[in-house]
Amino acid sequence: MPVAILILALLLFAAAQRVNVFEAFREGAARAIPLLKTILPTLAVFSAAMTLFRESGASEMLASVLSPAFRFFGVDPALVPLILVRPFSGSAALAALTDVFAEYGPDSRIGLTASVLLGSSETVFYTLALYFGSAGVRKTRFAVPAALIALFTSIVTGLLFSSLFFGA
Amino acid sequence: MNIVILLLLVAGIAVSLLFGKADGVLSALQNGAASAVENILRLSGAYLLWMGLLNVAEKAGLIKALSRLLSPALRLLFPDAKNAREAISMNLAANMLGMGNAATPYGLSAMRLMEEENPHKGVATNGMCVLLVVNASCLELFPATLVGIRSGFGSAVPSAVVLPTLMSSLCSTIVAVVLCLLFIRPCPSRS
Repeated sequence: MPVAILILALLLFAAAQRVNVFEAFREGAARAIPLLKTILPTLAVFSAAMTLFRESGASEMLASVLSPAFRFFGVDPALVPLILVRPFSGSAALAALTDVFAEYGPDSRIGLTASVLLGSSETVFYTLALYFGSAGVRKTRFAVPAALIALFTSIVTGLLFSSLFFGA
Repeated sequence: MNIVILLLLVAGIAVSLLFGKADGVLSALQNGAASAVENILRLSGAYLLWMGLLNVAEKAGLIKALSRLLSPALRLLFPDAKNAREAISMNLAANMLGMGNAATPYGLSAMRLMEEENPHKGVATNGMCVLLVVNASCLELFPATLVGIRSGFGSAVPSAVVLPTLMSSLCSTIVAVVLCLLFIRPCPSRS
């Protein structure tokens, strides 16, 4: 298990640097609490909407209309919400991921692909607004198209590597 | 976001009414909202653990160590950002270690420092564009929180996604950086 070795190496390194591991861990974990507090309402809205969308049959209707197009590009319709919200909101993308995990399981092909898609992309529009907004930049030149092309690349390569690693 | 949620809700209710399943609407909505509580518990393990461990890594000086390794490459990517270079390397190092929370303050201060050196206020310099694009393309060496979340949802192989995730984000970062360099070369004076 490489994660176990990673954690062991980190702990030994930190101890060698005379870090108070207990205090540092506590301090970091404390920062997770406000984060989880802001994620929960997003999760609630998204899960409510997604559950209704699925149980009403609307999801199946949409999938049957769109699936030829999506299948052509190798995208499972269940991944569409995740791809749509990813560039706008990190917590909504997380909600879409947990929805996929709860519905299909994390080790299903959809669950694995959703993990890769989420892990290899960023909240592009949020990053743009935050970074340029704080510096007072109004003319962004080539940053927006380049960031969007990077986002598109990460979706395409995410789907590609997922089908290479986890089978078609 | 608003439109996505609105469409899901309106379509869900409309289709329910169409199929005569109006009674199921409330229970579907409420079960969905309740499942958020269940899912936040699964997420909280990953977040508490990894934000704790990553803070240990930060206190041990891991961001600084990595940022020192990065600095030769940064001299190429950010030739004219002199004052901001340290903040830039700290930002990128924290991003690569998956510490988004630690990365943001460095990134914002790097942006402000570059704006101070900027002769054309309000127009993004080459360096500002490159920093933004690299931040927007997500290069993480090990997606610890993602692996933790997968494990929280009962995955038997939580780290199976590490290699494809790394390869995919590497591709998008390379594309982003190459695009920046292509854009920078033809118009160096327009910054």
